[in-house]
Formats: sequence, C-alpha cells, structure tokens
Amino acid sequence: MILKNSGLKSKALMLALTALPVAAFGYTALQPAPIAAQSLSASAAQAQPGQIVAMRRISESQYRHIIADVFGPDIRVAGRFEPIVRPVHELISSGASDAAISPAGIEQFDAIARVIASHVFDEKHRSQFTPCAPLDATKADDACAGGTLAPLGRYLFRRPLTPSEQAFFTGLAGRAATRSGSFAKGLELSLAAMLVSPNFLYVIERAEADPASPGSLRLDNYSRASRLSFMLWNTTPNEALLHAAEIGALTDQAKLSTVAESMVKSPRFEQGLRAFFSDMLLFEKFDELAKDPVVYPYFNQEVAAALPEQTLRTITDHLLVQNGDYRQLFTTNRTFMTRVLGPVYQVPVSKSKGWVDYQFSPKDDRAGLLGQAGFLALYSHSGRSSPTLRGRAIREVLMCQPVPNPPGNVNFTAVQDTANKAMPTARIRLSEHATDPTCSGCHRITDPAGLSLERFDGIGAFRATENDTPINIAGSMDGSDFFGGAGLGKALADSPSTPMCVASRAFEFATGRPSENAALIEALTKSFGSNGYGIRSLFLQVAIMPEAWRVRASKPVIESQVSFADLRAKNP
Amino acid sequence: MTYAKARKRNLIRTACFLPLGGALLAVGPMTGVADFGSPAIGQQAVTKLPNPPADGIMGFVVEDFIPPVIQGKDACPEGTVRKVRDEYLAALPEAERTRLMLKENEEELVAKWQASLFGSNNTNICSQPDMFTRADMRTVQSKFSHGLDLDGGKSVDTCAHEEFASPAGVTGIDNQEYRVMGCTLEWRGVDGIAGDQAIGTRQFHASGEWTQVILLKGVDSLQHDDSVEVIYANTPDRPVQDSKGHFLRGASFSASTKLPRHRNVLHGRIENGVLTTDPQDIMLAQTWGQGGSRDIRGNRTKFDYRRGKLQLTFQPDGSLRGMLGGYKPVFDVIQSPGIGGVGSALVAGIDCAQYLQTLRKYADGIRDPKTGKCSGVSSAMQIRAIPAFVNDVPAAERMTKR
Repeated sequence: MILKNSGLKSKALMLALTALPVAAFGYTALQPAPIAAQSLSASAAQAQPGQIVAMRRISESQYRHIIADVFGPDIRVAGRFEPIVRPVHELISSGASDAAISPAGIEQFDAIARVIASHVFDEKHRSQFTPCAPLDATKADDACAGGTLAPLGRYLFRRPLTPSEQAFFTGLAGRAATRSGSFAKGLELSLAAMLVSPNFLYVIERAEADPASPGSLRLDNYSRASRLSFMLWNTTPNEALLHAAEIGALTDQAKLSTVAESMVKSPRFEQGLRAFFSDMLLFEKFDELAKDPVVYPYFNQEVAAALPEQTLRTITDHLLVQNGDYRQLFTTNRTFMTRVLGPVYQVPVSKSKGWVDYQFSPKDDRAGLLGQAGFLALYSHSGRSSPTLRGRAIREVLMCQPVPNPPGNVNFTAVQDTANKAMPTARIRLSEHATDPTCSGCHRITDPAGLSLERFDGIGAFRATENDTPINIAGSMDGSDFFGGAGLGKALADSPSTPMCVASRAFEFATGRPSENAALIEALTKSFGSNGYGIRSLFLQVAIMPEAWRVRASKPVIESQVSFADLRAKNP
Repeated sequence: MTYAKARKRNLIRTACFLPLGGALLAVGPMTGVADFGSPAIGQQAVTKLPNPPADGIMGFVVEDFIPPVIQGKDACPEGTVRKVRDEYLAALPEAERTRLMLKENEEELVAKWQASLFGSNNTNICSQPDMFTRADMRTVQSKFSHGLDLDGGKSVDTCAHEEFASPAGVTGIDNQEYRVMGCTLEWRGVDGIAGDQAIGTRQFHASGEWTQVILLKGVDSLQHDDSVEVIYANTPDRPVQDSKGHFLRGASFSASTKLPRHRNVLHGRIENGVLTTDPQDIMLAQTWGQGGSRDIRGNRTKFDYRRGKLQLTFQPDGSLRGMLGGYKPVFDVIQSPGIGGVGSALVAGIDCAQYLQTLRKYADGIRDPKTGKCSGVSSAMQIRAIPAFVNDVPAAERMTKR
C-alpha cells in the first residue's frame, strides 16, 4: 500500500487493521486489492484516473441510515461508535476527513458488523438479499454467493466491486461456507468483512482529469454520487444516483443540476439538513449535557434528549415545510413541544405523547433558536447561566467569528459566586470580573449579546429575577442596541454574518473542509440572499457549483508503505 | 424505633405486596413522607391570593392524597392495634399464653396463630372476612380529627355516631373511618414518621396509577365566586418529579379517556378563598400495581365516596390544600388487605375480619332506608394539589363514550 499523505496514511493503517478479523478467521490468503492512497501532488496533471483524493469517515448517523436503507429498518445496529473529533472552529464533517479509527474502534465496528450480517442472513431475512438458491445449503456456491454479494457491495462501497474485490468476497464466503457447513454463514462472514472495509467505513473520493480544464482534476462520477447523497440525504447513494454515476451524468453540469434539484426537493433532504445543523450547532455537546439536579430540578435525561429534537424540528419545519427565510430562524416564535419539555417552558401540552405545534407569545421573549432551552441550556454551566458562553456561541457557532480562549490564570471567583447578595445578577458579577483588562477584551465581544438572554436560567427556564433582583436584559452587538431575546434575534437576523456563516458551513459540510476562498463564500452568500435565504437554494447551489467539485492540490509528502504481509507478521 | 425494628419494617415493606388495613404495600424506603408539621388542612382562609387566569381555568395535579392522622398519644392511649399474633395470644388464658411465649414453643405458637387465620373450606380472614368473628379493635379515643362536616349535624340519612372537632376548633367533623382505623400501625405510623398508608398512597399517585387532577372552570376570583365548575378526574400521565420525589409544577396532564374514566363533574363555590363543592357521589380509580387482571397487582378497584365533597383552600403559592370527604362502603376501607388475601394476615399481621367487624359497628353512612342500617363510614382524605396544565376529555369524546 503506497501512502503519500499523513492523514491518508493513518487511515490506511486502519485499513490493514480491518483485515484482522478476517485474518483471525483464517482467510489471510485472500485480500482485496489494496487501496492506493495517494495524495495529489502539486503537479495535478500527473495524476492517474481513479486516484484517491479524500477519505471521510462515515458518521454514526450515516452508518445507521445506510444499514436501514440497504437492509431495512428492522436490521439492528447495536454498539458504540468511536466518535469523530471536531477540529477547532470547524465541522465534524471536516474532522471526518482526518479521522482514523483506533484498534478499539475497529473492534467495535467489527462487533457491530457481525451482528448486522447475522441478521441480514438469518432465516427471516436471507431470502430478501439472496437472489438465488445455493445448490446445497451446506456447501459453498460461488455463483450464488457472487450474485448475492455483488449488489450489496455496490450499495455499501457506493460503486461496483472491482474484480479483485468480487473474487475476494466470493472466495471468503466460499471458504467460510465450507468450514461452517453453511452457505448462509459464508455470506454472513463476507458481508461482515465488507462492513469493516475502509471502502465502506470511509467515503472515498477519487479524482479524474477535468476535460473542461486541462491539467486540473475533478471528482469522478461515483465520488460525486456519494458526496451528493451524504451531503443532501446523509446516507448512501440510492439506485438512481448510482445509475446516474454509472452513465456519467454527474459530471455533466446540466444533468448534475437536475439530479441535485430533485434531491433537495425530496423529503429525504430533511435527513441531510438534520445532519448539517446537528453538526453546525455542535449537537454532540448534548451527549454530555448535565445539570445540577438541586439547582435545576426540571432538568433530567428525558429533557436533555428532547432539546436537540425540538431545535431540529423547529429548523426543518421553518426551512423546509414553511420554506422560510434562514434569518427568520432567529426571530420565529413557532416551535414544537412535548410533555417532557412543557414543564421547562411552563406551557401546556395537549397531547400525552409525541410533538405538538407551539407558538410562543411575544411576551415570552423567546425568539427563534436562541430562545429555545436547547441553546440556552447547552451554553450554560451545570448550576448557572452564562452570558459569556451564550455570547461566545452566538459569535462562533452562528456568526462564524472565533473568540479567543480565556487565559489559563483567570480568576473566576466573582462570576461563580451566584449567591452573593452584593452582586445578585450575572450582569453585575461580569462587570466586576471584566474590570480585569486581560478579560475585558473578549467579554466585550461576548457578554453584551449573552446578557440579553439572562431571563432564561441555566436550563432555559424563564425567570424575571435573580437573587430577588430584577434582571436587566439590555444587550448590544456590533453597534446595535436591543432588549431581550427578541431584540437579540432580530439583531442576528439583520447581521450579514449570519447567512454568510451558514453558507460557509454548507460548503464545508459538502466538501469536508472549510473554504479558504472568501470570494467564493461571498458569492455563495449573495446567491443565497437572492434566493430569499432559502435553505434548499443554498444547498442546491453548493451541490452544483463547479468549485465544490474541484480537487484540492496538496503538497507532496514522502512515500511510505504498509503491507498486509507486515501486519500479518506482527499479528500472527 | 430500634435498628432491628426499623430493619424488619423495611424488609416487610419491600418484600411483598403488603395489604394494609387499607394498607398499601411495597412502598420502599420512606421517602416522600407527607409534611405533617405544616398546616395542611386548609380550612383557614388565606388573605393574599393572586388573581385567577383571565380565562378562569385552573389546573392542578394532586400530590398528596392521604388519610389525615393526628399523631400523638391522645388518640390511642393503649397503643396501636394488635397484630394477629398478639391478638391470638391476648385471647388465651394467661398460663397458656406464658407457655407459648417461651422460646422453645415458638414453632407451636406460630402454627397456632397462623391456623387461627383460616376457616373451613380454605377460607381465611382477609379473603372472606365476613366468615370470621373477632373481638373489636382499638379505636381512636381522642375527640379530634381532621375531616369535613358531611351531615351538617343532622342525622337524617346517617346512623348514630359521635362527631369530632378539628384541631382548629371546627366542630361536627364526620370521620368514622379514622375513628376505626386511626389506631392501626398502617395509618398511625410512629410519631414523626408517616404510616404506610400515607407513603403508599403517595407512591400510587406518583406512579400514574391513582394520579388525580382537578380542573376548575369559570373562576372569577379566588376569594369569592358563587359558581365554579370542578372536574375531578384521574389521569394516566405520570407526574414529573424532582430528585427528592416532589411533583414539579407546570406539567401537563390529560384526564383519562379510558373507561371507566372516573371524571367527576362537581359544582362548587368559593368563600373567603375556600372552594367547597356540593355533595355528590365521587368515584376515582384505585389500581393495584401493573399486573394482569388475574394477578393481585393490576386489580382495578375504586375510591367510592358517596355524598362526597371537596373543601380546598387556595394558597398564595398557587397550590390547593384541603380535604375530600364522603361516605365510603366499609369493605372499601379494607380493599387492599382483602385483595392481598391471607398474605395480609400472615405477613403484615392484619386482621381483616376484626377491621371489618369494627367498621360495621361504627358505620354512620350509606343508610339503607328499609333496614335503617348503615354500610358506610364517613371518611376524609387530605389533599394537596399543585398547579398543572390539565387537558379535559374532549367534549366529542365524552359524548361518544358516555
């Protein structure tokens, strides 16, 4: 295996490790053709067709969607997934471009794969996936195994299996069938091997020469099918997309536009949009959200689980069902409620189960996403609210304006002393804290916005006072003054940074890397605005813009080589 | 209480479905003990009250629904009611009692007192309490009880009975259930610690099995209002609780749409911040656990209050405190140990026959006009309800399921 890129190198090591479960079963003689992971050199013209230019690890939600789409929702996906690390100020989607899998992570994937494969080829399900009957159910049948595994491999690898892959997986199934005395067991092992293959666990993008721009590279058709599908639907390409890739339609700009347009109009776009906003809004933080039960008796695990769903429902309803303006996500008073969340908001919920529409009254001062308990609780401490965390999240998450980390020797005594009657409100405590010149610079950026949300406590419940003192909700941001959550929401909606931020995130989500091309993002934002800030138009634009399909050139790195033979020697 | 006694007590609580004399069992550790120190009986008018909502609709979920017990030594100067083993021994000649109480005769004693719980044809004192004759049990000797004046001091439809006065000095309190049951350990508890009745009832309300909601309609003032509609119903929705087991305010509930839904529509009036409903039969759910219909758990019975009425005082914090009163069929009082069968006697030491016999003796309500005999006892339950959003059964559904 030839490696020229450090990121790809680590993934290739993972590739080798994925062979271990198969090796352990005694089939080390059979290996699929190694993945030739080569970086693009500065001289892109030297690139060969089929060259790998990017590998992005699929996320847990993508994994689950793929299994449900390919095998049906009744196939159980049980296990823990190694998380993908979020790079600072970037999306997890960008982290996926650099994500390796640890040996422990691979063991988890292997365990999950074996459970899935056992369900797919159990007596209840196998007839759905086996287009033929083996000559003898207790023996190998290469023709039938090949006929079964080839279409599954095409969906899982998001391209047709190569001849060597076909031979490998068919042979593996045959040998396992012979050893176990079961044709189905052979298929099971072979499918499990597919599911731990890097060709499945990584979305592998390959480049080809761009005829429109001699000397340049562009993504090939199957890579485009995968990117479109994961970007817009958060799952593997369906039959129509694979067919479009097969006939070369996705490198034809007009046909690409047609396909992308139909995809953003599809109901499945909601799945993609949920993945995008979960990534952009850092929803992985909900997994570790904890509150002091004495301070916040209304917070519990059911509430924690419902909070991101409430936000996602609000987003998808506004942007897709209502076809609304993205900026109005910060001013809308329309949301959804459950019995679990009702007590937090102190509002009635008519249905015992499920979600119901809910409209906040203007006097509630809950405007858009920032008025939802999800945002308010996420950006608070476990026992108190935090105008600073909230203000920072507004800057970084919603406006893409990174705020420096505080120095390591900050004295937080004043802001943490919430019971101090001499400094009863967060505003007073922060003003005391910010007298320190090392702190005041950043707090000027974050706090004036966050303080306008102070009538919402650390779990987002309303409060008019803190320590019996009325809360002042005056706020300001970038020169505009306002009051409360409604004022802040309007300021955000009016800010040019807000749509530009989501546009840049959409591009990053699609390509797996943040754009360094300011002109491109500005043009994208302008197009977003000219289309009424509709989210479908934004993602359509990202999907069809030629810049998104161009391949990034990288610096040449020193070649290295890892072979399965080496690994086998080390792991006999 | 010694450690050994406390340990035994907890073991019993957690080990089985312990029917109380009315006793509710399997209630676990004594968390959620009712606040007996506070003036929960809210007859006293409260002066500072908020305005009602503009639409006049107010919802509440009942957090406490417990028999009101006045602890202290006055009520039961001879101690709590004896358990079946002790009752058996007490009935013996002294010499025989002394002999059986010797350690070496423990096995014989156990065999004999347990045998006394059974009758012919495999009957037992809790499944067939009518078929056993027992001595009367100790009753409350105090002149004080919580409760309501159910008969207005006139014994028109009632049987002769002595009335209590409330600790606040209100006279004419009818609560014969307390008079009979108030000296049982399950009701009385140990001073400072609530009895199993109180704890178990709280558990059933917290679990969604007996949970009750109150919906007030047409409230114009919390001080004075001539006409208020009161929906008093069960809900299948489980209350949200904090880490200490207290119900949280502002949760939503739906009145049960499942038949029999026990949706009581009452008419009331508010005077000096006290809501009182007109006498009317009130029925509420009483489900014993989640088991199937053939299991003890899952048995569906009911709270049946004849000529029942609510008297609830609005509190400045938005809650309601007060009483539900009414006449309860005597057998309903021992519903729980009755369902528990002989286990109630063997494990909890409850003599259902003795309870039933004494309840009949003191019955003061549900009088048969032909015989003049009463088959019910006046009863009261202490209520504390906190603000909630209550969804009533939709009108269309009420019509179709009627």
